[in-house]
Order: sequence, then structure tokens, then C-alpha cells
Amino acid sequence: MSSANNDTTVDTEAIREVLDANRAKMKTALRVCAHCSLCAESCFLFHVHDGDPRYMPSHKFINSIGRLYKKKGRVDREGLEEISEIVWRRCVLCTRCYCPLGIDIPEMIALARNICRSQDVYFQWDQLEQPA
Amino acid sequence: MYDLVRGPFVWVAFIVFIVGTVYQVVRFYALSRETSPFRLTKPTGGPPKTEAPPAEPVLTFGQRMRLSIAGTSPVMITVTTVFHVLLVLTPIFVLGHNVLWDLAWGVSPPSLSEAFTDVLTLIVIAGGVYFLGRRLFMARVRAITSAYDYAILAIATAPFITGFLAYRHIFDYDTVIILHMLAGEIMLIAIPFTKLVHMPFFFINRFLLVHENTFGAGGTRIWR
Ligand code: HEM
Ligand code: HEM
Ligand code: SF4
Ligand code: SF4
Repeated sequence: MSSANNDTTVDTEAIREVLDANRAKMKTALRVCAHCSLCAESCFLFHVHDGDPRYMPSHKFINSIGRLYKKKGRVDREGLEEISEIVWRRCVLCTRCYCPLGIDIPEMIALARNICRSQDVYFQWDQLEQPA
Repeated sequence: MYDLVRGPFVWVAFIVFIVGTVYQVVRFYALSRETSPFRLTKPTGGPPKTEAPPAEPVLTFGQRMRLSIAGTSPVMITVTTVFHVLLVLTPIFVLGHNVLWDLAWGVSPPSLSEAFTDVLTLIVIAGGVYFLGRRLFMARVRAITSAYDYAILAIATAPFITGFLAYRHIFDYDTVIILHMLAGEIMLIAIPFTKLVHMPFFFINRFLLVHENTFGAGGTRIWR
């Protein structure tokens, strides 16, 4: 959906640089998350999608920045596309999500967007499929 | 075995728990810095005055409660509050523990009756069973659950389950009490190094960090 270039390589080093620069807060957020799902109801997109768990804020940061962190930046183009789908299509960064443990979920999603951008993966409005 | 688990292991567990927790807090301070909270200031001069915002909050207390997680997940919030309060307080007032404190130090916190702490123990276990049920049967919880979450739930409730079995003398007491002490020690050691580290980080995240949902004045620190 959103590759600006057709380059098939991923610059793992560049991803790691972003990960390293944000290691402390990222590691803490990922470790502290109780996987309790209480943030679900605070996201309007979760409601709009009839409670689809993939729209739960924690599901979004665990499967974007969490995935990049666990794999130490080793993802392929397909993986980056999946992540960009999560961080742009399933989240609008409205910052309204609420976590009782005070995890800054939007910051984590913004970080994953940064990493996508570092690999020339963007959200491209002109390629957006309109719902039927 | 019994002497080892009742003696040195207890101290090791408490020291790891305390030093580990202090380490996490010190590490947070080392990796974060003071910042001035973000404040919007009123511009001077400029366009004519607009109507003053209402002094009363726009939403009533009841409306705000209904929109909070206590309103959207009332059962979970009730269960988790009771679970956490009793999880921390019960062990402090268990007679069996205080006898041991007394033997070691000559002082101990006051004890509640064993019959009462037994009920509290059962309530904590019931909370654990509720969390387990959510994890197994609610799609949204299952979607972010891995074996690790079950392991942590087991580590957190094991001291209560084994403590209960020991008090009721269900199964062989000598074995159960050793298992109980081991379970308690494992739980204490696990707190600073697993997702149970949310114990200190709840307070760091909600009171110290500048963040959308910080309580009170809005926090003063940000990660470097
Ligand atoms: C670390 C070393 C620990 C030791 C040596 C220890 C020892 C004991 C002993 C001797 C009893 C009394 C059993 C009886 O009445 O026969 C007891 C009960 C109990 N322990 Fe522990 N314990 C430890 C850790 C913990 C921890 C960390 C927790 C919970 C967080 C815990 C929770 C309980 C509870 C709830 C009971 C009462 C069970 C009931 O009355 O139903 N213990 N423990
Ligand atoms: C004392 C400060 C603590 C605070 C403020 C706190 C707060 C929280 C919060 C907000 C959650 C998120 C979901 C929920 O509400 O259940 C949670 C989950 C949890 N907490 Fe704590 N907690 C504390 C200490 C502890 C300790 C000491 C333990 C156990 C050793 C513990 C065990 C758990 C477990 C097992 C969960 C996950 C429940 C599940 O599986 O859904 N907590 N805690
Ligand atoms: S982000 Fe917060 S509310 Fe959401 S699952 Fe994790 S701990 Fe629970
Ligand atoms: S920032 Fe994203 S995850 Fe959070 S409430 Fe808004 S759309 Fe949902």
C-alpha cells in the first residue's frame, strides 16, 4: 500500500539506530504492559470496528514497535508493509488512548512510524482504497 | 531443604526484590531528565476577548465515571482493585508469617485471625481465576496473550494457592509449605524483572513522567 520506492532491501542498521535511541522507554513500555486489554474501549477505532481486537491500542503497539524490537530490526519489506498498515490504517495518533499503567501508546506507534519512514515506507493517501 | 528454603532463600529473595526494585527506579532516573511541563499561555493583546470557559467541569462526575475504565469495565476494575489491595496487604497480616518475623527479628506487624486471612487468601485466588477466565475466553485479551502471561499469573497466585493448601493441611503439609516458601520467593524475585515490574512503574508512569494521563500536576520528567 505504501512503499515509495521499489527497493526490496531493508536497512536493518538504520532501524536499529532508531530502536537504540529509544531503547529505554520502548523496553519499559513493552515490559510493563500487563496485556490486560483495558485500553481497548478508549480507542474510537476499536468501537468503529465492532470490537475487533486488532484495533486495540496495545495490540497495535505490540505488533508494530514490539515486533521490530523483538526481531532487533530484522524484518523484510512484507513485514514493514504489515507494520505500516497497523500504524497508519489502524491508528490515527489521536492520543486519546488510556492505559491504567500509564503507557504512552501513541508515542510507541509514532516511533514505529518513524522506523517505517526511515525505510521509505509511508502512508500514501492517493493509493487509499475507498470503502465500497 | 526446609532450613535452606526457610532461611537463606528468604533473605536472598527479599534482597533481590528490594535491590532490584531500587535498581529499576535508579535506572529510570538515570535514563530520564527533568523538563518543564508543557503549558499553553494566554497571548497578550490580540483579538477581542472571547467568552470565558465555564467554571464548572463540562461533564458531571457521574458522566466522567461512566466514560472511564471503571464505567466501561466495571467488573474488571472491581476485581483488580480488590485483588491488588489484598495481594499486597494479606501476607503482611498472616499469623504464620509474623511468627517467622518474630523469630528472626523479635518484632512483627500485627496479625489478623487466621480464619480471616484465609478468607482474604481465597478472594485473591478468586481474582486470579477471573483473570485466567478473561485470558481464555475474551477475544481481546486472548489476542495479546502468550504463555508468558499465564506464567506470570501463576507466579503471582502460587503463594496464595500454596499458602491456602498449607493452612488447610491439604496434601502433605511438609511438602506444601516448602512449595509455598519457594513460590513466595520466586514471586518476590520476579517482581523487578518481569512484567510485574509494573508495581514501581505504575507510580513512575502515572506521577513522574510528563504524559497525557499523568495524575496531579502533570509530571516533570521525560525519557532521555
Ligand atoms: C518468602 C518466604 C515465605 C515464607 C517463609 C512463608 C511462610 C508461610 C507460613 C509458615 C505460612 C503459614 C501456613 C500455615 O498456616 O500453616 C504462610 C501462609 C501464607 N502465606 Fe506465606 N510465606 C512466604 C512468602 C509469601 C508470599 C510472598 C506471599 C504472598 C504474596 C505469601 C502468602 C501467604 C498467605 C496468603 C498465607 C495464608 C494462607 C491461608 O491462611 O489461607 N507468603 N506462609
Ligand atoms: C502495588 C502496586 C501495583 C499497582 C498499582 C498495580 C496495577 C496494575 C494494573 C493497573 C494492572 C492492569 C490490569 C489490571 O488492572 O488488572 C495490573 C495487572 C496485574 N498485576 Fe498489578 N499492580 C501492582 C502490583 C502488583 C503486584 C505486586 C503483583 C504480583 C506480584 C501484581 C500482579 C498483577 C497481575 C498478575 C496482573 C495481570 C492480570 C491479568 O492477567 O489480567 N501487581 N496491575
Ligand atoms: S497498554 Fe495498558 S491498558 Fe493496554 S493492555 Fe497494556 S497495560 Fe493494559
Ligand atoms: S492514538 Fe491510535 S490507538 Fe490511541 S486512541 Fe487514537 S487511534 Fe486509537
